[in-house]
Amino acid sequence: MLTFLVRRVVSALGTLLLSSVLVFLAVQALPGDVATQVLGRDATPDAVAALRKQMGLDQPGWERYGHWINGALHGDFGTSLVTTKPVGGEVAQYLGNSALIAVVTILFAVTGSLVLGIVAGLYRDRWPDHLISTVSLIGMSVPEFVVATVLVLAFSVTVPVLPAVVLYGPGASTGQLLPAVWLPAASLAIVMAAYIVRMARTSVIDVMAGEYVTTARLKGLSTWRVVTRHALPSALLPTLHVIALNVAWLVGGVAVVENVFNYPGIGKLMLSSVQNRDLPVIQAIALISAVVYVVCNLAADLGSMALNPKLRTRGGRIR
Amino acid sequence: MPPFTSETSHRTAPAAAGLPRRSLLTTAAAIGGALGGSALLSGCSGAASASPTRAVPTRGPAGRPDRGGTLRIARPPASDAETLDPASALSAYEYLGALYNRLVRMGPDGTVAPDLAESWEPDAKATTWTFRLRRGVTFHDGRAFTSADAAYTLRHILDTATASPQAPVLSPLVDPKRLRTPDAHTLVVPLKSPHAEFPSLLTHYNCYVVPDGSARSIGRTGIGTGPFRLTSFAAAGPGRVTAYPDHWAGRPVLDAIDFYSVADMQARSGALLAGQVDLLSQTNLDFATARVIAASDRATIARAENAQWYVLPMLTTEKPFTDVRVRQAMKLAYDPEHILKAALQGAGTAGWDNPVPPNDPAHTAAHPAHDPEKARHLLKKAGYERLAVDLYTSSYDPIFTPMALAYQESAGRAGIRIRVKTAAADSYYTQIWMKKPLMATYWYTGRPVDQLLNQVFRGGSSYNETAWADKEFDALLDRARRETDTGRRRELYGQAQTLVIERGGAITPMFADRLVGISRKVRGYAEHGFEFDYLRIGLKGA
Repeated sequence: MLTFLVRRVVSALGTLLLSSVLVFLAVQALPGDVATQVLGRDATPDAVAALRKQMGLDQPGWERYGHWINGALHGDFGTSLVTTKPVGGEVAQYLGNSALIAVVTILFAVTGSLVLGIVAGLYRDRWPDHLISTVSLIGMSVPEFVVATVLVLAFSVTVPVLPAVVLYGPGASTGQLLPAVWLPAASLAIVMAAYIVRMARTSVIDVMAGEYVTTARLKGLSTWRVVTRHALPSALLPTLHVIALNVAWLVGGVAVVENVFNYPGIGKLMLSSVQNRDLPVIQAIALISAVVYVVCNLAADLGSMALNPKLRTRGGRIR
Repeated sequence: MPPFTSETSHRTAPAAAGLPRRSLLTTAAAIGGALGGSALLSGCSGAASASPTRAVPTRGPAGRPDRGGTLRIARPPASDAETLDPASALSAYEYLGALYNRLVRMGPDGTVAPDLAESWEPDAKATTWTFRLRRGVTFHDGRAFTSADAAYTLRHILDTATASPQAPVLSPLVDPKRLRTPDAHTLVVPLKSPHAEFPSLLTHYNCYVVPDGSARSIGRTGIGTGPFRLTSFAAAGPGRVTAYPDHWAGRPVLDAIDFYSVADMQARSGALLAGQVDLLSQTNLDFATARVIAASDRATIARAENAQWYVLPMLTTEKPFTDVRVRQAMKLAYDPEHILKAALQGAGTAGWDNPVPPNDPAHTAAHPAHDPEKARHLLKKAGYERLAVDLYTSSYDPIFTPMALAYQESAGRAGIRIRVKTAAADSYYTQIWMKKPLMATYWYTGRPVDQLLNQVFRGGSSYNETAWADKEFDALLDRARRETDTGRRRELYGQAQTLVIERGGAITPMFADRLVGISRKVRGYAEHGFEFDYLRIGLKGA
């Protein structure tokens, strides 16, 4: 158990370092730098030179990376090249706003889709299954920005009950952002739910066909008890990994949806910093995304151990 | 202007029972189209071109506004490092006209009009300009506006630390050390060389007047003499300005303006449709979205006439455009009226390769006629009989790709093969502009004729996107600057335009109206070039 944890943490740190190098190289490979991007058409040679000097871009790239990684190890993520504010605080602010969407999305998507998936599995090939499967398949195939647009059309334009876009900046309070959270969260949840519904349905069908469920039934247990006590824990196991991957996917999905809603979250910050080539901010966000991926997967693995006695007793071996 | 139907909207009374199904469907189609990228989008506008301008009104709601109210404007942020310093390349454009005044502004007829300067006159050779400044003007912090502020503003623009885009225009003319302020209401500007159009260069939006010594703070405080004063401002975020009751031209109609920064164009349209904002600033809507907005109960479309001019610049330093005959052929080969119809659905004016807008008093209307046969002949003589060139475009602006495709089609009839290539939008102006031999781009109109021709067409200028260098043209501009007789000067600028048309590298198919999304409550919207009337705009039922 312990060696497993240590191994995972070490490989996670390696992943983070590697991703920071890759992101740095990728941004360097992008055409244009922060000075030309910010100035746009006013990027006359004089103006670009002045801005580059002001931003410290006259130093070679590897030196700037070394400087950054050294600072990051000491908890200092540098200052944004564009706004000259400390990256740590800025990213934290945007991340907090995104967390609001993420929490609502996960709550609704996970609980909702698990229930639907289980219902579909239990009523296999009957009308509840057909209905749930069809709707979730449609949800899966439609990209999140289309879902978002349709929701805006329905709930902001036709029946104006929710705001179409967020007009506040990153410093908005939770109270100001709360009305604007529902449509982005719903768009993400609809797309995300489909995968979890499909997975939960399949696992439930698998498990319900298992011999031990038949045994439990023969013992005279009620369907409710068979499902909750015996079938669910086993059915959840493969679903956990799908949920973990989906939570990690949120980081990317949020970028698209936040821009459609002008929501001041990490996704919007990511897009504008990539457009600006604002390296320190991109690096910090990349690091956070990598951490989310690693943590989610780790949590899923640990969760499977908790649910599966076989994995616990075999000293941490995991399939 | 092409003839438009006179009705301002095809639907005069709001529908009684909610939003009709038809408009809901078109909204879905439009927004879907906007999302699907330029290919889908041009498909949409192409399909809709059967009824050209019927659904998109030609002007905003008429009538007088009520006093008071708060106007909500959605704007694209300049960058995350925006500032309120008007001289900066990163100034938050929409705030400038509300907070500040210039010495002079550009009138709707293309002539220089008074703002903080009541009058101005040159000496006999136009080497020294004297500006008489308005009295009784106060800054928002209560200080009186004097000639010291006017002189400081010029010095601030010319300061290399400011890196103002207008500095390269003014620094060859103005020595900041030689500015004189003989009294509190007179500014004397001695020029390094004669310039009869000098005041027009001060109409630029980098030239708003800031208080003496404010370089370090102006980016945050926004203290000016304008009709509104700053309440709050966040770079790439929300901000608010409130009416300044002591404004020298009287109190503005509105009580306040809220500015919201919304980077995504679709999100901006969504905010307007949902009634969250009243006006989309600096946003040229595509036709599909414009039609949806015009059909809604809350919002409609107003136009800023000929607000931008579209160009296909040929780099005159790259083959085959080094040959003037090829450039001439590329211009004679296509029909601007066709591009105007196909790409703009007639919402604009044909350019005929002349970048000087039709409302400019120096504009010359003469141009060679569309002549594909002559184009063929010229290409044959130049040895490019089967000319095939790449034309770069991007989704940076919704008109680029339709324009490129329309040019491709039109020039194709003269035997020129155009391959339209789409480049990434976010690095379009760093990687494609002024680097690829042929591409699609645009400029906002509003530059006075002298600045326009010198900045975009003079040899060696940093904005010279065709890298064209013609000694005769440059000499004409110099002669025009020295010419103190207005009539003769305009004639010289006219000759310079003829050279641009006949020898230059810019294919200028058209001037386009900007389709401005606007709430049906807005009254008194007026915008031309870089001028926006913040004083008279207001709301009905505010």
